[in-house]
Amino acid sequence: MFAQFFGSYLLSKNAVSPEQLTAAITKLADTHIKLGTLAMHKGYMTASEVDEVCFLQTREDKRFGEIALERNYLFEDQLEDLLKSQNPDYLLLGQTLVDSGVISNQELEALMVGYQADNELEGAPSEDANQEETQTLIMNFFEAADEPLSDEALMYMNLIFNNLVRFIGEDFTPLAPVACESYDTNYCVTQCISGPVNLTSGIDMEEDVAIAFASRYAKMEFHVFDEYVKASLEDFLNLHNGLFSVNMSNAYSVEIALDPPMHCDEPTYKMNKGSFVIPVIYPFGTIYLLLAM
Amino acid sequence: MGKENVKILVGDDSILARKQLKDTILKYAEGAEFIEASNGQEAVDLYHQEKPDIVFLDIVMPVKDGIAAVKEIIKDDASALIVIVSSVGTQVQLKSAIEAGAKDFIQKPIRPDQIKNVLAVHLK
Repeated sequence: MFAQFFGSYLLSKNAVSPEQLTAAITKLADTHIKLGTLAMHKGYMTASEVDEVCFLQTREDKRFGEIALERNYLFEDQLEDLLKSQNPDYLLLGQTLVDSGVISNQELEALMVGYQADNELEGAPSEDANQEETQTLIMNFFEAADEPLSDEALMYMNLIFNNLVRFIGEDFTPLAPVACESYDTNYCVTQCISGPVNLTSGIDMEEDVAIAFASRYAKMEFHVFDEYVKASLEDFLNLHNGLFSVNMSNAYSVEIALDPPMHCDEPTYKMNKGSFVIPVIYPFGTIYLLLAM
Repeated sequence: MGKENVKILVGDDSILARKQLKDTILKYAEGAEFIEASNGQEAVDLYHQEKPDIVFLDIVMPVKDGIAAVKEIIKDDASALIVIVSSVGTQVQLKSAIEAGAKDFIQKPIRPDQIKNVLAVHLK
């Protein structure tokens, strides 16, 4: 979950614009992590050493590791460690932004340190960071936007981000939640949850984004905005809310009731105070998560 | 009853969920004939008309939910073979499905091996 929230961290620090971030996310699939980025992240090399080695690579036909060893910027054992280490997934996004010229290696170095400190990540977080760390990350994400969450809402959001990873793909970046009482819809599907927890959740996106979203969800190639695409949005929401009810039942022994998901055909969706919308950027477009209290 | 030429009622309000379930079933029951319902009431009506060999029902559906549909079907035909397929797999839902008369419960998202097992157990 670290790659996803690193993007919103960069936005909150005004290090990148939403357009630059979106462009970098779109490129992610074709990007591979570089040794220099990893070395910087581990604190083995400074940003200027990395820049120097990259520059030397343009003049000498040698690998990054070879040059870094020759210049004593890296020890053998450090190089070995880098080559076999688990890459924290947010590094790739940072590196893509450097490659695109949006930020410098120096800026990335400082942002990585800040991100880790703010989220109390110990050293290099592994990809399968535990649930607790993810919860902290999501809590910080909402607190940074001044939208503190109840325990249930936190569990809800944690699960929806996990379900996006599981059913749609991990290549997304959520933008800060926006408090919202009236939302202009594109194609919007909502579902009411009632019982000990009362809320309406929804997902909204433009039709062409929905086609790509549905193709990923259903693992089928859709080309037109048809009933299968619409059903995919409803299914995703219904599946997510079903899994939420299972979690609520297991964690708090409470049963919540679900209404069938519905298409909202109003151009504007009205929500109560305390409701919010989270834009989530995927390479194929932006989806909007709605949580109405 | 063999696995071929079985008549299967699939009740789910999602056209996608019905397609995915039918595609999965066809891998293990070639030649199966399908009847589709998009809510609980349609499932009850079609059960009476068509007398399918096995029924797969979602829980969260408009008009009449899956549990209520199971109760109505079982009231008239205690031997009805009904399998609940739902994302709401809480202990309470599971219990009420079984008490209503469902023979099995599959948690969504469906995995092909679960469908295979259900067909193997119930359609001997």
